[in-house]
Amino acid sequence: MSLIRRKNTSGTENHPTWINAATGRNALIRKELADHLKSRRFLILLVLIGSTGFASLWGAISGLSDALSQDSNFAFLKLYTQSGNSIPSFMSFIALLGPIVGLALGFDAVNSERAGGTLNRLSSQPIYRDSIIIGKFLAGTAVIAMIIYSMGIGLGAVGILTTGLKPSGEEVLRILVFLTFTVVYIAFWLALAILFSVVCRHAATSALAAIALWIFFSIFMSLVANIVAGAVYPMRNDYEMMANSLNNYTLELNMNRISPYYLYSEAVSTIMNPSVRSVNVVTMSQLVGAVSGYLSFGQSLLLVWPHLVGLAALMIAAFAGSYIGFMRQEVRAN
Amino acid sequence: MKGTKSWNKKIGAGLAAASLTAAMMLQAMPVYAADSGIDMSTDYPGVMAKAGETVSFPLDFISTDGEGHDISLEALTLPEAWTGYFKGNTTQISKVHVNGTAEEDSTSPASFSLTIPDDAAEGTYEIQLKADAGSGDTDVLDLEVVISEEEAGESSFTSEYPQQQGVTGTTFTFDTTIVNNRGTNQSYSLAAQTPEGWQVTFTPSDDSKNVASLEVEAGSSKGMKVTVTPPENVEKGDYKIPVTAISSNDKLSTELTVSITGTYGVALSSPNQVLSFDAYANKESSVTLSITNSGNVDLTNLNLTSSAPTDWNVSFSESTIDTLEPGATKEVTAYVTPSENAITGDYVTSFTVSSNETSGNADFRVSVKTSTTWGIAAAAIIVVLVAALAGIMKKYGRR
Repeated sequence: MSLIRRKNTSGTENHPTWINAATGRNALIRKELADHLKSRRFLILLVLIGSTGFASLWGAISGLSDALSQDSNFAFLKLYTQSGNSIPSFMSFIALLGPIVGLALGFDAVNSERAGGTLNRLSSQPIYRDSIIIGKFLAGTAVIAMIIYSMGIGLGAVGILTTGLKPSGEEVLRILVFLTFTVVYIAFWLALAILFSVVCRHAATSALAAIALWIFFSIFMSLVANIVAGAVYPMRNDYEMMANSLNNYTLELNMNRISPYYLYSEAVSTIMNPSVRSVNVVTMSQLVGAVSGYLSFGQSLLLVWPHLVGLAALMIAAFAGSYIGFMRQEVRAN
Repeated sequence: MKGTKSWNKKIGAGLAAASLTAAMMLQAMPVYAADSGIDMSTDYPGVMAKAGETVSFPLDFISTDGEGHDISLEALTLPEAWTGYFKGNTTQISKVHVNGTAEEDSTSPASFSLTIPDDAAEGTYEIQLKADAGSGDTDVLDLEVVISEEEAGESSFTSEYPQQQGVTGTTFTFDTTIVNNRGTNQSYSLAAQTPEGWQVTFTPSDDSKNVASLEVEAGSSKGMKVTVTPPENVEKGDYKIPVTAISSNDKLSTELTVSITGTYGVALSSPNQVLSFDAYANKESSVTLSITNSGNVDLTNLNLTSSAPTDWNVSFSESTIDTLEPGATKEVTAYVTPSENAITGDYVTSFTVSSNETSGNADFRVSVKTSTTWGIAAAAIIVVLVAALAGIMKKYGRR
């Protein structure tokens, strides 16, 4: 270890060590990726996402003619956003079930290796320690990207086959951005799961903690936001409704946006629905003289830039936490 | 000679009924005088004419003995001061050739053109023409011209409603009638005198073709539509259009009057007809408006106003135009500042230009865009985050 440190301090020899670090990390990423792809867990996730995806596509197609009779523009996007009778859309399915993929891939990343004693062996190899955690995260993200892009594009292909709709260039761009948002969103949950796997000794604990957080953000956050907004800006009678409604809604919206689930849903529904013009509360005076129309792709993207930044920031923060936690831990303590 | 020969001729309708019957019999079974091998005739040996006119008699020649003859022509008797000459195809002639074997031709090879002096008195005049083929083959033709002052009434050219009124852009249609009271068919060539830029077309009532001349049969009338199209930028006022119909004998004219009434009109648009522009919330955007006087009178005191969404600010480079001439266009710049709270997407802002008499307006679609500043800021935040992560790696990594 002291040897490596000395090498690091001399600037001229920095270069070869970086190459070594990169090759070590790449080998780790490849190994992790191979482990993931061979695992039953990956198969289960693929089946889960695949079956929900196609169920939602079936629902979308069954509800498509109704939706198209109201608005026939951007028909292809409706394959992803249209919910059928009692079947949610692909978009809302992914928002709800996507985190499962990230959690399943990461909840035991570090602590199971620690429990199995393989972490000791791994760190005795001539690789940097941070390569282990970076490799795990990047391999997990690669798996997520594989699942999401293949599912998203596959759904589109099946949609073309069954409905005969052709996507326009702008629709393709919007779908790609939607899938990229989804990858970032699920990568956040992966980073969070890895953080728990670093912090908790037992895989079961970290899994429970991650799932608890997932359920809280997906289901209870909106209730909490509602209650808090109602407490701060009460709306119990007509007068209070008049005075507080804007503040109440704004507060509720902002609290909901703490939840990655809400942030992601808002962003992708804006991207996938060009007629959405604002993500904030819109007052009547803002609507005077407004003409219903579609936003261009660039304008839609500009609307949800903050969301992408927020999601990316959450992902980086969660990963940074797990990184720091892992690096400060004593490997041999086990 | 005249006494017997005249019975051999084809006799005009003007002669006595008994003579007519005799002539018909002669025609059906031609018997010609044995002493002559030629015969000269005309379909209408008697005509009515006016002093100063020129009368033309088509002449037919037949060889009765089956031999060809060269016939020299001569006017035996002509009233005082009358002139006449023989006319071939287009030239003046003195001899004509008749073919012995040929059937009688339907077209006349020659004609006798007779010019009546202007001062010819009323009455009946006799003219004798002589055809001489030599060796005793001669024939004499008697012609009769009756001069009367009042032929049968004047020809006329009238319009039912010669004065019409309309606004700029109207096409005026006058129903006119040409009556030919002459004894012969008349071909009238039509013309109209118009101010520059006007269009006049003539159309027979029973047809849709535009014509330059009109054939009217003797003693009948023909309807004709005269269509007058003023130029688009015609100014208010009365316009007189003399229309003439000239034939060889008649010179008819009538006067049509078109009065253009004043119209007020003003149009508002943009110089390139694009009625949309981009704007950013709380930032001034300018758009050029073009104001055109589409009427035919001057417009004064034009005011520009706007109707924009709540809290939007609209001003004009000049909000009043003193005078705008017909057809003139004025460009005015409007400065539009969307409200601070305007949401991304399209809004409608309408501009109105109005004077006391008229007004014009245009709805502009304003696309409010999100400023890219925040997008750049967001990208910068991501860069900072990645840098922070790199910093963490540097601090804790490489152990």
